Amino acid sequence: MEARVAVRDLYEDFVRTFGNVLFAVCLFVVWGIFTLIGVIVEQGLDASAYFQNYAAPVARAIVRLGFDNIYHSFWYVGIIGLILLSLTVCTFKRVIPARLPPLRPVKIDKIPLNMQVKVAGTVADVRAKVDAFFRSRGWQVRERTFDGTEWIFADKFNWARRGVLIAHLGFVIIAAGATIYWARGFAGETAIVTGQTMEIPRTHALIRLDSFAYKIQPISTKSGMVYQPIDYVSHVTVTGNDGKAKAETIRVNQPIDIDGTLYYQASYGFAMRFDVLHNGVRVANLSGRTLMDGEALDIPGTPKSVQYARFVPTVDRVTGQPGPDPRVNDPAVVLNVFNQGSEIGAALVPLQTWIDLGGGWKVVPHQYVLYTGLQYRYDPGAVIVGIGAFVLLAGLVIAFHFLPARLYIKVDEADDGMATVGIAATTVKGYDIYEKQFSDLKTNLEGAL
Amino acid sequence: MNQPMTPDKLLLIIALGAYTIAALALVGYFFTRQPALRSVGVPLVVLGCVAQFAQLVARYEMTGVWPLLNLYGSLSLFAAVGVLIFIIFAIKYDLWFAGGFVVAIAALFLAYATTWNEGTMPAVPSLQSYWAKIHVPLVVSSYGAFLVSFVLSGLYLVRYYVERALAKTAALATAGGQAAAGATGGWLASMPSLPQLDVLTYRAVAIGLPLLTLGIITGAMWAHEAWGAYWQWDPKETAAMSSWIAYAIYMHLHTRGSWKGLGSAWIVFGSFFIVIFTYLGVNIWIHAGLHAYQR
Ligand code: HEM
Repeated sequence: MEARVAVRDLYEDFVRTFGNVLFAVCLFVVWGIFTLIGVIVEQGLDASAYFQNYAAPVARAIVRLGFDNIYHSFWYVGIIGLILLSLTVCTFKRVIPARLPPLRPVKIDKIPLNMQVKVAGTVADVRAKVDAFFRSRGWQVRERTFDGTEWIFADKFNWARRGVLIAHLGFVIIAAGATIYWARGFAGETAIVTGQTMEIPRTHALIRLDSFAYKIQPISTKSGMVYQPIDYVSHVTVTGNDGKAKAETIRVNQPIDIDGTLYYQASYGFAMRFDVLHNGVRVANLSGRTLMDGEALDIPGTPKSVQYARFVPTVDRVTGQPGPDPRVNDPAVVLNVFNQGSEIGAALVPLQTWIDLGGGWKVVPHQYVLYTGLQYRYDPGAVIVGIGAFVLLAGLVIAFHFLPARLYIKVDEADDGMATVGIAATTVKGYDIYEKQFSDLKTNLEGAL
Repeated sequence: MNQPMTPDKLLLIIALGAYTIAALALVGYFFTRQPALRSVGVPLVVLGCVAQFAQLVARYEMTGVWPLLNLYGSLSLFAAVGVLIFIIFAIKYDLWFAGGFVVAIAALFLAYATTWNEGTMPAVPSLQSYWAKIHVPLVVSSYGAFLVSFVLSGLYLVRYYVERALAKTAALATAGGQAAAGATGGWLASMPSLPQLDVLTYRAVAIGLPLLTLGIITGAMWAHEAWGAYWQWDPKETAAMSSWIAYAIYMHLHTRGSWKGLGSAWIVFGSFFIVIFTYLGVNIWIHAGLHAYQR
């Protein structure tokens, strides 16, 4: 028995709190602050990077609280969950009662927007005229009798009372779509060297890069020469679930779709073929391999290894240093040399020349091969998010730009064959917003009766 | 170095000049209600706005490059749309008295925009999309509407606090207090009432928030096409979401009687700083992420 009372009290407290708009606003404030924290604190770095950029206590807080990946943190998802919960409670406890009130009599002179108009005629005649007046002006007119008193209710934009519900529904649909991606979607990245075929994990699509092309345009500006990328294109052969190979082109802004997964042009780079010489003789089993930037080559029988650090498309002829032009003119590579795992030096090595590692070993960057960086993503919730977004937008437009107003009209008999028309108006946004229209209405009504 | 006067430069000078004079005239009008000042200011506001749009078109014609991809073009459009929305509001609700402030802010942004003019460049691949022509104007237009709401809420706050101060001095019932009331009474009394200013502010946000929503949606659609995900938690889009949240807070508080008026005016006033942070701060102070303006 007591337990039941306790649960009921708890439930009532819950409904009172989550059904309170001010509570929802507090949730919004927290949501907004978390969102801004993620803008200000760079996301997804290594823990050590935060300790470099911030004072130790701040950095520790960032890492411990998950602010380094805030949008996927417990806090962030939790606050959105609370907003959804509050939205649901509010919908039934506040929005529906406030926006869709039943027709009921009111005390006309207690409502700030009210008028009394005195007209000649019997009550029945005047009521018919009032009825006709509002109908002809596009009001939805309904008549009801309460305790023997006849009331006329006139509504404008009654349908728009649902605007808030639609906006709220849109938000719920967006959240549902995002959850579907979280539960069933995936995304990844892959790099494919020209001539190579990659099998994409999970989708098992095969993609062969036939060729990659880029276009870069040098432009002289006030602040010097700028090399503006104009186009990146991957010509690929793809094989999807149907087993048929097809030629396709992937460009920035023009992804391709293989069995519902989208593939995007994300980046490109230069892989490198090296030759390894020992005492002037090409070592067949070490040569001809293609390394991606960052990969290393171990020199057998020595503690040394050579890492292909990065490609330099153009070496400045005057300085001999890497130049700014990203087009391939005088290419070279930056090689890092390691001894027992620690770096002992770096060198800029033009293509077809070599770096001498001692002991008769030489490494020759022989030829570059372009690779394409593709991103892929399977998101079965995207369409739902899109629908939700437009539902939300429609709800906002309805809620903000169609103002539902309700007039409560009562016609009473007055002395000497006159009748008084009493009218009060309410809107879903208070009275100030309707003042002018109400006084115009009064003028028109007085003219018409 | 003497550079030739191109049509777009001429139009820019006309716009800046017209806005500057209009701002002075209309601020004067705000305080004195001299009809002559209004007659000078209003045509100049319209002239400046037309010149601005013509300037953007001229730049597109001359360069063949969509002019909104760098901060110069984007800020120009922001000033132009802010003024345009204000003109529509002013005609509909007779708000010319507030024009001086709107136009002054627009002129400042336009002047600041010119410091970002680094000449024309073809678009990088990710910006070569029809979405650029939809997304950018929508977002920037919403900022224009928020600029108007900022000025209107600012005027609300001015009226509220000046009235309160006057009431306090009047309560002291000194002759000096009455003199003060007389001195400010003119411009104060001819402003719309506080509830009217509250409604006008609401109407400006009611334009801005759906535009921002649509701007974010089109941005997401573009991202879906260009980057492979409709939402990347990139600093710019997340900051835009914060602005969206701020105005959503306003819209909710505005349904509560006790928060209508003063409380919600402060929120609209403050939210504009989040908008400016989103618009400029993220690019200038924060790593610009995927939304770096093209330089
Ligand atoms: C992010 C999601 C939300 C969106 C987009 C949204 C949108 C809106 C809009 C457009 C309005 C109409 C404002 C007006 O007519 O001036 C509104 C009103 C309202 N919202 Fe939300 N809202 C959201 C979340 C919430 C939450 C979490 C609650 C829970 C408490 C809530 C409760 C209400 C209530 C009670 C009203 C006013 C009803 C009334 O008194 O007439 N909303 N909302």
